[in-house]
Amino acid sequence: MEEVKARNVALNRLRGRATAWFSKPANIILLAFLVALVVLTLYPLLSLLTETFTVHAGREARAARQSAGEFTLYHFERLFATRENDYSRIQFYEPFVNTLTVSLAASLIAILFGGTVAFLVTRTNLKYIKFVSAVFTFPYIMPSWTLALFWETFFKNVNIGLKTSNGIMAAVFGVYMPEWFVYGAFPIALVLGLHYAPYAFILIGTMLRNMDASLEEAATILRTGRFRIIRRITLPVVWPAIMSTFLLVFASSMSAYSVPVFLGSPVRYYMLSTKMKSLIDSYPGQAYIIAGVMILMGMVILLLNQRVTGSRRQYTTVLGKSHQIRRIDLGRANAPLAILLVIVLSLVAVAPLVTFALESVIVKAGDYSLSNMTLDFWVGTDLTRRLDQGDSTGILLNPKVWNALGYSLALALLSAFIAGSCGILVGYGVAKRRGGALANTVNALSFFPYLMPSLAFGAIYLAMSSKVPWLRGFPLLVLVGSVKYLPFASRSGLNAMLQLSGEIEEAAVITGVPWWKRMLRVIFPIQKAGFLSGYLVPMVSCMRELSLFVLLVPTSNAILTTMLMQYSEKGWAQFGNAINLLIIIVVLLVNFIVNRLTGASIDKGVGG
Amino acid sequence: MPEIFLKNVSKHFGKVVAVDKLNLQILNNAFLTLLGPSGCGKTTILRMIAGLETPTEGQITIGNKVVFDSDQGINLPPNKRDVGFLFQNYALWPHMTVYQNIAFGLENLKWEKNEIRDKVKELLSMLRIEAFENRYPSELSGGQQQRVAIARTLAPGPKVLFMDEPLSNLDSKLRMEMRAELKRLHRDTDSTIVYVTHDQQEAMTLSTMVCVIDKGRLQQYAPPLPMYKNPANVFVADFLGNPAMNFIDGRLTEAGELTFGGLRARFEPFNAVTLGARDVIVGIRPEYIRIGAEGPLEATVYSTLPSGMETTVKMNVNDISLTSVVFGDVDFPVDRKVRFSFNKATVLFDRESGRALARGALTIVS
Repeated sequence: MEEVKARNVALNRLRGRATAWFSKPANIILLAFLVALVVLTLYPLLSLLTETFTVHAGREARAARQSAGEFTLYHFERLFATRENDYSRIQFYEPFVNTLTVSLAASLIAILFGGTVAFLVTRTNLKYIKFVSAVFTFPYIMPSWTLALFWETFFKNVNIGLKTSNGIMAAVFGVYMPEWFVYGAFPIALVLGLHYAPYAFILIGTMLRNMDASLEEAATILRTGRFRIIRRITLPVVWPAIMSTFLLVFASSMSAYSVPVFLGSPVRYYMLSTKMKSLIDSYPGQAYIIAGVMILMGMVILLLNQRVTGSRRQYTTVLGKSHQIRRIDLGRANAPLAILLVIVLSLVAVAPLVTFALESVIVKAGDYSLSNMTLDFWVGTDLTRRLDQGDSTGILLNPKVWNALGYSLALALLSAFIAGSCGILVGYGVAKRRGGALANTVNALSFFPYLMPSLAFGAIYLAMSSKVPWLRGFPLLVLVGSVKYLPFASRSGLNAMLQLSGEIEEAAVITGVPWWKRMLRVIFPIQKAGFLSGYLVPMVSCMRELSLFVLLVPTSNAILTTMLMQYSEKGWAQFGNAINLLIIIVVLLVNFIVNRLTGASIDKGVGG
Repeated sequence: MPEIFLKNVSKHFGKVVAVDKLNLQILNNAFLTLLGPSGCGKTTILRMIAGLETPTEGQITIGNKVVFDSDQGINLPPNKRDVGFLFQNYALWPHMTVYQNIAFGLENLKWEKNEIRDKVKELLSMLRIEAFENRYPSELSGGQQQRVAIARTLAPGPKVLFMDEPLSNLDSKLRMEMRAELKRLHRDTDSTIVYVTHDQQEAMTLSTMVCVIDKGRLQQYAPPLPMYKNPANVFVADFLGNPAMNFIDGRLTEAGELTFGGLRARFEPFNAVTLGARDVIVGIRPEYIRIGAEGPLEATVYSTLPSGMETTVKMNVNDISLTSVVFGDVDFPVDRKVRFSFNKATVLFDRESGRALARGALTIVS
């Protein structure tokens, strides 16, 4: 009797606990995302791993002397330990070292440049602060190859690289730059550093702005010199932001594909990303190993980052009432510094556009005279016969271009909608159950896609899709885009949720408002700007994404970026430049409209 | 030693006048409290003396040194003023241990390593935080952080200490404890302390001098108890004391007869002053309204707040409501009649200007 009773009590308790657990929407959300993310990120990762031990059909099978589908260690042996013809050195070790060097240099450039400007904007009385902070995020909004392409078209000449034609620098000014300046590690690191400097500007700048002024004032009172304050107080306090920037820029640079294609490949300077692309068709096993190495590198940085920021020195920078910070008076250095910055930023932000516009209207490469210019590549007809090159119509009259634009927009909108909404849900779940094992796991998993190099990510999904018949073409692109950009969305979702005190929702719970209504009517409206940024970043990123989609897009219905790639590969430079300009204008326009309509902005979404 | 002078100091934020032509003399060894409601400009005054804020105009002297003078263009930076500053939020550096936080200021002064060690150890034991030497601020409770902040401020041995609401983030028990410590600290360190607070009790209990500020203007500058007794105006009278003083509109005749709240009374000033006929505000401290079995007047109890040591009674007489404090653990049933009398000291204020006219005895006629 007693025993039965006791068992009943125990059962009831268990049932009660389960009901309580499932009655909290946060738990259900987390559970659902745990399952989804395991399928969408862990499973691909595992399949990537198994691919590295599997023989693939074709050249690989012949080289390994095994039949397709068999288990093999051949890829590892071949890639890591082949002395013959310096194979391993050329295929892996050199690109590996190059990747490390370039990513490290790019991170340093981004942190130094973006961090310095962030400091100038938040802590000094620099002139033109409004202009500087507005233009600074430009390079991030534009596709990453923009600067690379600009660099090449501007500085290339007939003595170096592919030795095809002179760029503006050589043709107009007669200055022939040396090869190291135009191609290879230096320009790649510089371009990536400039492209990702907005990360540093936004992350470090936000931290500086939120940093309590009294931390610095306390040091001033204790007779600390200005530079010592910066070195001993300011820098250490913003250190987590610097580390986050480092993680983001390093991971992004490492997997950057288009920049090293434009600035490295012409002189056979390879990074892991470009090497992977060149191997993936003939030796996919080795390509997957390279992808694995890149993911591993990303994880190492993530761990390092967590060790630094998750330590005992908890960084709460916002302490209480804060006063206006005393801005450092730059004195006589102010005007020259401000003007220099304005010039550099204009060059980085505006010069590429001008160059692309110019390059899209000249008929014969390297000749920048007015007589050599035409709008045919934009609006001309019957070009194949008249100019003997490229498509028959200018891009604005080409239905294929409009098709691609439509696809690009649809892809960006759909992916952004899915990623953004999921990001809010993940942010909600993680914030509500903060610190719990489930929340931590989901949070980590949702960041995982960021560490996967886009190209590898695309490759894995391509492999996966062969097993799922309906997952082809456009739906596949949307899925990949959504998962890949979930990290951004979930970061901004989480940040927005963390700023919201729990009581706000509880007040609605008490009065019996159902969960979906709390989300739509209470939580979302309050943190609208933050949440919308979670939609904006994936949208803008998708719009200008190339490496993620390049393996997945069927040639029949291209998106704008792959179309640009096709034109570049065919050597139709004018069409390529025109499309490039078109992409940039569309991206800027989308960004501008969303920002105007909703107040959401890129900088709120880069929470890394 | 450091006396502090403020001469015609003003601070404007755009069109807002935060501090208006303030004159203040802070004597050596004083524990001066700047008291006022939030937004009255008291923190701005403190920060201007410390050099964290630049006055719009005026002159500030610390010791024999002019640290700011708008006319002569003198503006010494805070690090040259030889002062200590305790921040409301403590402003402990999150990336440094307790030891490093305290030692930092001494390193700036280029002290020898072992000298620094000795000094830090001394402060750690003085403030009873030896056990936390190697902890980071985030691993300390609010009270412990407060002690570390005090140790850090004291380390270089500044002769002038500025404190900006340093106790407002602590719970009430801890706050009481730290008040006693701060008062002891003032004695032991032999320093001049300028202290900002909006808590009148803190000002009353801690300071040797209180300076009440409202809307950027000095209202009264006096030692706490005399100020409590002789408030200069309605604002000061209202701000000091808890529960607050009773204010009742009244009319004084040439003959010294006072009518207020349906009562008629005689007012005899303690000092010989001629008041004349005018509209007045009668100010009576709650502890001067005595409730008892007997008394010339009757009131209805509206509400009571017994705290054990004393009971605050709100009661209605005619159209006016009065607050009284009864000492001891007594309580009164609500809506019952009680008898009461006014006890000696009453302050009369001019109704138009709010200025205090006289202190005197009140005798009820009918």
